Formats: sequence, C-alpha cells, structure tokens
Amino acid sequence: MFRRRYREQIPELNTTSTADISFMLLIFFLVTSSMDTDKGLLRQMPPPQQEDVKPQDINKDHLISVTLDAGDALAMDGTLLTPAQLTDELVNAIAHDPKEHVISIQTDRRTSYEAYYRMQNAIVAAYNRLRSTGREVPMRISEQKPQE
Amino acid sequence: MRKMQSMFRRTSHELPGLNMASMPDLIFTVLFFFMIVTHMRHDDVRVRYEVPAGTEVQKLEQKTGVINIYVNSEAIQVNGHVTDLAHLASVVQAERKAMSPENAERLTVSLKADKHTPMGVIADIKQALQQSFALRINYSGTESRHP
Repeated sequence: MFRRRYREQIPELNTTSTADISFMLLIFFLVTSSMDTDKGLLRQMPPPQQEDVKPQDINKDHLISVTLDAGDALAMDGTLLTPAQLTDELVNAIAHDPKEHVISIQTDRRTSYEAYYRMQNAIVAAYNRLRSTGREVPMRISEQKPQE
Repeated sequence: MRKMQSMFRRTSHELPGLNMASMPDLIFTVLFFFMIVTHMRHDDVRVRYEVPAGTEVQKLEQKTGVINIYVNSEAIQVNGHVTDLAHLASVVQAERKAMSPENAERLTVSLKADKHTPMGVIADIKQALQQSFALRINYSGTESRHP
C-alpha cells in the first residue's frame, strides 16, 4: 500500500491573462499617440509695420523678383521656370551678390499654398546649396502682400 | 522493454503545450517601444488637411511653446479650438497667455495648411500672427526625396 505523496508546492499564479492586459495597453497607446514628427520650413517674420516708419528703399540692382500668379505659374525676373530651375537661377544670382541681395516674393490671393510651398522650398534649397560651400549667406527675403 | 514500461506508465499521446510564459514580456517590449517613440496626440483635429511636400524640410526640435494652426480653405483651427480669421489673433494671444513665460518668449507657430488653400487665406493668417507678435513660423510639410 503506497500512500500518495502529499504535495506541498504552492499553486502557481495564473499569468495567462498578462499577455492580454499588455496587449490592451499596447493598443491603447497605439490609438492615443501619434508618431508623426513635425517637419517644415522655419521662418522668422518681421514685426508688424508701424504707420510712421517709411518702408526702406532697395536698390533695383540688388532685387531678385520671384512671382507666383493666380494660375500657380512661377517666374523669376519675368521669365517662367520650374522650382528646380529657380533654385539654380537663385544660386547664380545670390552668388554674385551675397550680402546685398533681396528676394522679393509676390503672390496672388488665388495662388495655391502648394505652389507657394514649392517656391519657398526652392529658395531654401538655393541657400542651403550656397551655405554648403562654407560661405556665409544671410537670408534676405521680402514678402509682398498678395495681389487681389 | 517498451511493453514492460507501458504496463505501468501510460505513454501520453498529447502534444506538449507551447510555452506562453514569455509572451507578456514580448508584448511589454513592444509597448515600451511605442511609448518611447510616440507622443500623445493632444489636439482633436477637426480640419481636414494635407500638408505639401518639400525636400528641405527640417524637424521642428522645439516641443513646448508650439501653437499648431490647422488650415484648409474653409476652416481654421488653433490647437483645439476651431475659430475664424476675425478671432485668430485673440485666440493666439489667449494660447500664449496660457503658456509659461519661457515658452511664450520662444513661441513658434506651426502652420499645418492644406495644399489647396489659397494664398489669400495664408496671407491673412500671417498678418494676424504678425499683429499678435507670433513671428516664428514653421510651414509644416512632409519630406520628399525628389523635388
């Protein structure tokens, strides 16, 4: 006659549901959080114009005029071009006049934001290309009020 | 020999169950990964927008002291509040007041505008921001490899 050994072991904690609990936490975080980091073109705007301060005169020779019309057509000094061409042209123009140049931006109220963004991107690309050669080029941009 | 053994001990035909003990650990690792790489979404965005793409975009390193403005051709939303052009400046100022002085000083506006927004709307927003001295602006966009 064998007596059954009495087992003194403590019963183990049932942990099967831990996986489910952590899955729920995981899904909660997936739903409530977002992964997108904010990227963009950072700009500093000038302070609002005072009534009594006269706008500064700029020598025409230093002026680079960039325009976007209502149909999103991009032009520099009157000639139509693509954003990539604008970058090349700006690199040439700014390289000749790095300290005094002013890029004047004129848009229309009906210009799309996307076209404006492409133009801004092209301008930043031009400055980045110039700066990558080790030169110090200040960003000189003057934005006009959009045309009606 | 086998016959003998089977007389005393029944051979089990059941497959041993897969050991699931490490499963919670695995999921916890994934959970922690997501907790670290993501951040909480604090605004309930009610404006449908699709930002334009650019090749020169840079990461906005600043995390605090940022006011998000969501824009499409119909609506404007500042952080959590849907507003309009006439009230934009006052809403921005109220948001700035709610910040700590350090953050208010280096305030940046992240403009998340839909790519089909006309420039008239953008220009009006920029003017309103200028009037309320929110001068640092981030034109939000996605990164693209090809121009």
